Amino acid sequence: MAGNWKRFLASGIIVAFLVLLPLLTEIRTDTMSLLIMLCIYVILAQSWNLMGGYAGQINLGLAAFFGCGVLTTRLIWGVGAPFYLAILAGSIAAVILAAIIGIPSLRLRGVYFAIGTLALAEALRIVVGNVFPSTLYPSPDHFVGFSLVPRYYVGLALAVVTTAVVHIVANSRLGLALLAIRDDEEAAKVTGVNIFKYKVIVFIISSFMAGLAGGVFTYYRLSIMPYEQFTALWTFGPVMAAAIGGAGTIIGPIAGCIFLVIVEDWFALALGEAHYIVFGIIFILVILFLPGGMVEAVDRVRKFLVRLPSSKAD
Amino acid sequence: MIAQVIAYGIVVGALYGLVAIGLALLFGVARYLNITHGSFMMMGGYVSFWLFTLWHVDPFASVPLVMLVMFLIGLILYKTLFSPLSKLPEGLKINNSMLITFGLLWVLDNAGILLWTSDMRRVTPSYFGAMFEIFDVRLPFIGLGVIGLALLVVFALHLLLTKTYFGKSVRATTQDWEAAKLMGINIDRTYLVTCGIGVALAGVAGTAIALMYSITPGGGLEWLLIALIVLVLAGLGNIKGILIAGVMLGLVEAVSVYVVGAPYRAAVGLAIIVLVLMFRPQGLFTRRTRGA
Repeated sequence: MAGNWKRFLASGIIVAFLVLLPLLTEIRTDTMSLLIMLCIYVILAQSWNLMGGYAGQINLGLAAFFGCGVLTTRLIWGVGAPFYLAILAGSIAAVILAAIIGIPSLRLRGVYFAIGTLALAEALRIVVGNVFPSTLYPSPDHFVGFSLVPRYYVGLALAVVTTAVVHIVANSRLGLALLAIRDDEEAAKVTGVNIFKYKVIVFIISSFMAGLAGGVFTYYRLSIMPYEQFTALWTFGPVMAAAIGGAGTIIGPIAGCIFLVIVEDWFALALGEAHYIVFGIIFILVILFLPGGMVEAVDRVRKFLVRLPSSKAD
Repeated sequence: MIAQVIAYGIVVGALYGLVAIGLALLFGVARYLNITHGSFMMMGGYVSFWLFTLWHVDPFASVPLVMLVMFLIGLILYKTLFSPLSKLPEGLKINNSMLITFGLLWVLDNAGILLWTSDMRRVTPSYFGAMFEIFDVRLPFIGLGVIGLALLVVFALHLLLTKTYFGKSVRATTQDWEAAKLMGINIDRTYLVTCGIGVALAGVAGTAIALMYSITPGGGLEWLLIALIVLVLAGLGNIKGILIAGVMLGLVEAVSVYVVGAPYRAAVGLAIIVLVLMFRPQGLFTRRTRGA
C-alpha cells in the first residue's frame, strides 16, 4: 500500500506541476503545441493500450476512431453547438463505429478484430477522402480570442482522466478478466469468463477515448483536412508509443509518448521524412527483442543493480 | 450495359484474387499475417515499372523476373523478422507478425517515397487501351492478360501443392506443424519457402496493378484492404477459394459502383467484411468452423 501512496503522490505532484506550468511562465507557442500533441498522443496510446496491452486485442485501425472523433466534432461544432456537446458527439460516433466493427469481429479470434479494424480505417480513409475532398474551415467566431492555453487544459484534463480510467479498469474485476483473456482466451472461456461481453465493454471504453482525442485535436487545430486523420499514421504513432513504452502497463504508454513526441521533434528536423523509417525500425526491434518495452528495460536494469552487490557478497 | 459491368467485374475480380493469394498462402500455412503484403505489391510493381522503362521489357514477360526478385525479398523477410516468431503459440505469433509487419509497412512506404518519390507510376505498353469486342462487350487486352495470369498462378500453385514433395510438406505443416515435424519435415524450411512464394505472388499482383491501375509507395494499404476482404470472403486460411472470392468481390463492387456510385466503393468492401464476419465467419467456401 505504501508504494501505491508514493506513486499516487508522485503523479499528483507531476499533474499539479503541469497544471500550474502555463500560469507560472509564458510558454512558447511551439512548446505549447508540443505539449498539446503529447496529451492527444497519451489519450490515444492509453486507448490502444487498454485494448491491445491489457486485453491482447490488436487494434490496427485506431485512426478510424480518432478520425471519426475529429470529423464529427468538427461538423457538430461547425453548426454552432457548444464544444463540450461536439466532443461528446464525436466520442459517441466513435463508439457507434466500434459497435459496427466490434460486435461481429470480437466474437471471433483476435486476428479477425485486427483485420476488421484495419479494414475499417482504410475504407473510411478512402470514403471520407472522396466525400470531403477539401479542408473544413471553422466558423469565424471560433478564431475570436484563440489561445492555446484552454486547448492545453482540455488535453491535459482528458489525458489524466483517460490514464486514471485505464488504471481503474486494470485494477478492477474487469481488468482481471482482460488479463485472463489476453493470456489464454480458451482457458478464460472454460473458467466461465464471458469473454465477448468483456471485450466489447473494453472496446467501447477504448474507442470513446480515441473519439475524445479526436475532439481535442479539432479544438486545437480548428481547420481540418478530414481524411488525413484516418491515415495509418494515427494508428502507427499510438501503437508505437504504447509498444515502445510498454503495453499493458500504466506508465509505459506515457513514457512512450514522451519519447516519441520529443524524439520526433528532433528527428523531423534532422532527417525529414526519413525519421519515420528510424521509428519503424525501433518499433520492430522492440517487438522482437523487448516485448515489455521501456518498462521491462527499466525493470531489468533495476534487477541487475539489485543483484550486483549481493553477488559480490557471495 | 449490364454485360459490360459483369465483364469489368470479372477482370477486376481476377486481379483481386491475384492480390490476395500470396497473403492467403502465408497465413494459411505459417499463420503469419503479413500487413506489408500491399507494400510488396507496390515493390513488385516498381520492379516491373523499371524493367519496362529502362529496358523496355514487356510487363507480362517481366513476371518471372519480378517473381525471382520478390522471392528473394520474401526469404530475407522470413530470415530476419518471421523466424524468431516461429516457435510462439499461434495467437501470439499472429499478433506479433501483424505488429512487426505493420512497423515494416511504415519503413518500406517511407523508404519508397525517398527512393522513388510519391509520384504515381504506371506501365503503359503499346497495347495499352487496346480492346477486344464481342456482343457489344468490350474487353481490354490487358484485362484478359491479367485473367490469364491469375488462372496460371492458381493452376501452378495447385500443382505445386498437390504434385510435389514440397507441396506435401506444406500441406502437412498446415494441418499440424508439430506432427509434421515429428515426421521429419523441415518446418523452418517449409515456412521459409512459403514466405518467399507468398511475397513473389505479391510481386505478380503488383505487376498487374501497375498495368491496370497505378503504383505509389503509399498505395500498399489500399491493396492490402482488398486482399483482406478477399481473405475473409474465402475464409481465413483457405487458399482454394481465393480466386472465386476475388471474382465475387469484383462483381459485387462493379455492380455496387453502378448503383451507389464510385466514392462509396471502399464502403461496400467494408460492408462485405462485416456481413461475412456476422453470418459466415468461416468464409463462404469453408465447411468446417475452423477456430471461429
